[in-house]
Amino acid sequence: MKTMRFLFMATAVLCSLGLVLQSASAADMVPKAAFDFKNFPDMSDFDPNKPMPLKGDTIKIAVVASHSGPAASVGEIYWISVLWAAHMVNKQGGIMVDGKKKMVEVLKADTQSKPDITKKVCERMILQEKVDFLWGTNGSHLQKVINQVADKYKKISVNAASLSDELQEVPDFSRYAFMTTFSTEQIGRGLAYYYGQIRKKEKKFYILCQDYLFGHSMAEGFKKGLKEYYPDAEIVGEDYHKLFLTDFAPYLTKIKASGAEVVYTGDWIPDAANLLKQARQMGIMLPFADIFMDEPRFLTEVGVEGTKGIINLAQYGNGNPAFKNDDQIKVYRAWNDLWKNKWKEPYNTVLYTHPFGNIGAYIGSTYWLLSVVTRAGSTDPEKIIKVWEGDTYQLPSGQILEMRACDHKQITPLTVNEFVPPAEQKQSFNIPPYYWFEGCSNVGPSTLLPMDKVVPKADPKLCK
Amino acid sequence: MDASVAMYVAQGIHGLAYGMVLFLVASGLTLIFGMMGVLNLAHASFFMLSAYFGYQMVAWTGSFWAALLVAPVITAVFGILLERFLLKKVHAFGHMGELILTVGVSLIVLDGVKAVWGTESLPLKMPPVLEGLVQIAGMQYPIYRLFIIAMALVLLGILSLVLFKTRLGMVVRAAVSDAEMVNALGINVPLVFMFVFGVGTWMAGVAGVAIAPILTVFPGLADQMGMDAFIVVVVGGFGSLGGAFLVSIIGGLISSYGVQFLSQYAAVLMFVFMAVALAIKPKGLFGERD
Repeated sequence: MKTMRFLFMATAVLCSLGLVLQSASAADMVPKAAFDFKNFPDMSDFDPNKPMPLKGDTIKIAVVASHSGPAASVGEIYWISVLWAAHMVNKQGGIMVDGKKKMVEVLKADTQSKPDITKKVCERMILQEKVDFLWGTNGSHLQKVINQVADKYKKISVNAASLSDELQEVPDFSRYAFMTTFSTEQIGRGLAYYYGQIRKKEKKFYILCQDYLFGHSMAEGFKKGLKEYYPDAEIVGEDYHKLFLTDFAPYLTKIKASGAEVVYTGDWIPDAANLLKQARQMGIMLPFADIFMDEPRFLTEVGVEGTKGIINLAQYGNGNPAFKNDDQIKVYRAWNDLWKNKWKEPYNTVLYTHPFGNIGAYIGSTYWLLSVVTRAGSTDPEKIIKVWEGDTYQLPSGQILEMRACDHKQITPLTVNEFVPPAEQKQSFNIPPYYWFEGCSNVGPSTLLPMDKVVPKADPKLCK
Repeated sequence: MDASVAMYVAQGIHGLAYGMVLFLVASGLTLIFGMMGVLNLAHASFFMLSAYFGYQMVAWTGSFWAALLVAPVITAVFGILLERFLLKKVHAFGHMGELILTVGVSLIVLDGVKAVWGTESLPLKMPPVLEGLVQIAGMQYPIYRLFIIAMALVLLGILSLVLFKTRLGMVVRAAVSDAEMVNALGINVPLVFMFVFGVGTWMAGVAGVAIAPILTVFPGLADQMGMDAFIVVVVGGFGSLGGAFLVSIIGGLISSYGVQFLSQYAAVLMFVFMAVALAIKPKGLFGERD
């Protein structure tokens, strides 16, 4: 009996020790560089509609995005994010590169959402405007073009927004391209891990994604993840709809009849908005698991009840509460005060209330890029590659990003957020007014997924 | 009602509702082309413009009904101005001039709405009285979608009455048949055409406001609906209101039952239908014009 007790105690101690060590290794990982709270400047003159005029020799970043056409709002989000980070660095006096202090200049490169235009504008940016970095973009077909142009002219391209794994795999991989966003397969696997290993409630899933490469990759990731982390789960239906669908009612009727407990979707806006809205109008209150149903304007339209229970996987976040110290609050207030009091259309809309979510991730990507340039002391692509490969950087949120050397994919823990009514959001938004948005449900319980469970897919030809 | 039967019935009603919205957009397009021979590629842009006007009206007055009444009228005024001051001048040079002009107008409308309302998706709330669900044969169905079906049927009825039972309708039909002869009889044909163009854009405007509470109002709205409406006009036969109505309903049903039974091909079924229909009747099911 004594032996048994001893063995039990020993096992318990060892397990506890293991857990402590594991959590310590994630929490106490020392990054090579971190956001510099001490030198965070006065940002009160920042206005995305009136960028700081710059003269002379500058470090140039081209924001390659749809700055016109129906998808121009995406370009606006990228623009303010990159400009914010650049403005911060400029207010700190710029960056010392090749023995000279230089300011950071941000340029708009309009893709018009077309691959041929993307190619032309990227070449113009490199050859005419002499940009040092191409920063993009929405749509893997466009990012692929950006990476190809960067590769041809040996310039660095930063993919902060296109989620396809294939971009960093053979044959598309370029050593000049760095991916600073989560990826489709990782997202699907992350949500499957959450449902199978953490939440352990719902078992019946319906997959509804857009009918093109991205939608299918999102679905494949989820299915693969369910096999790995939730073998008891059942996929009760799987559909792919055309982009910019007008009427979701036929799909929703099928979903309702399938007995699904959760709808997994990779849809982005406007499809994501119309899907949620039409579901609630039809009295279908099933929860959605997704990455794009976090846009406050349409969430507010759907209301508190209709948005309750949404499960949103995010790449930006460091668990609850959102604000862990005064420095973080100071940086947040700098943004939020300007949004409230200074910025004009379109940056005074509810979408830009908080520098979190995807905006937080885009700003974070740019902080990281500029930190790499600072440490490389140069804009020379070879020196940038040398510093960035294997680099680790800590964002203002405390989240640590790592750049996998073999394929230039970012590794970071992902966060799964459950949306709850404003009165319950204090657990996440822990400063006044204690909620993210007044008219809709938003982040409440927030779960950090272990980094080793959501490591992005690696191409064995690149990562041995 | 048995659950699977309820599902099939629901899909049928979804098809009808979508078909009716399609009809509202396509009817204006077919009227304009069929009666005036004008290929208005900016038609779907007027549909979008009206949705934005509707959004603005709701923002100002808080009333969906005011939006439904006023926004299509303002849209029609824009349509009339386009016809009177631009299209009329290029009409003599054939379809190429009209094509280029109306594509240009659609781009101007697109940039115009972005300049005024921005690029965000804007919400337009449905009136509280049309929110919620209603029981139909033991099955719950959204009231608003039934309202769309009813409204489109009423408009179809009114339009048919005006066209086929009134003197005005007779003049319009006669002007389409032989404009010079009608002109010689002392009737102001350009004014008749302007009226037809206005009614056509008004119909698109009604559709724009009607669909806005189901969708979000954003600059891509015209693309969402434009292609389907164009298929309806082509397959129904240019100028045929009855053809547009029938094909809209068929299109709506193909769309919903396609999702139910042939989900992986749902996106192309409408095109397959178009190809088959045109192979059998190249002028469209009810068309007389080339």
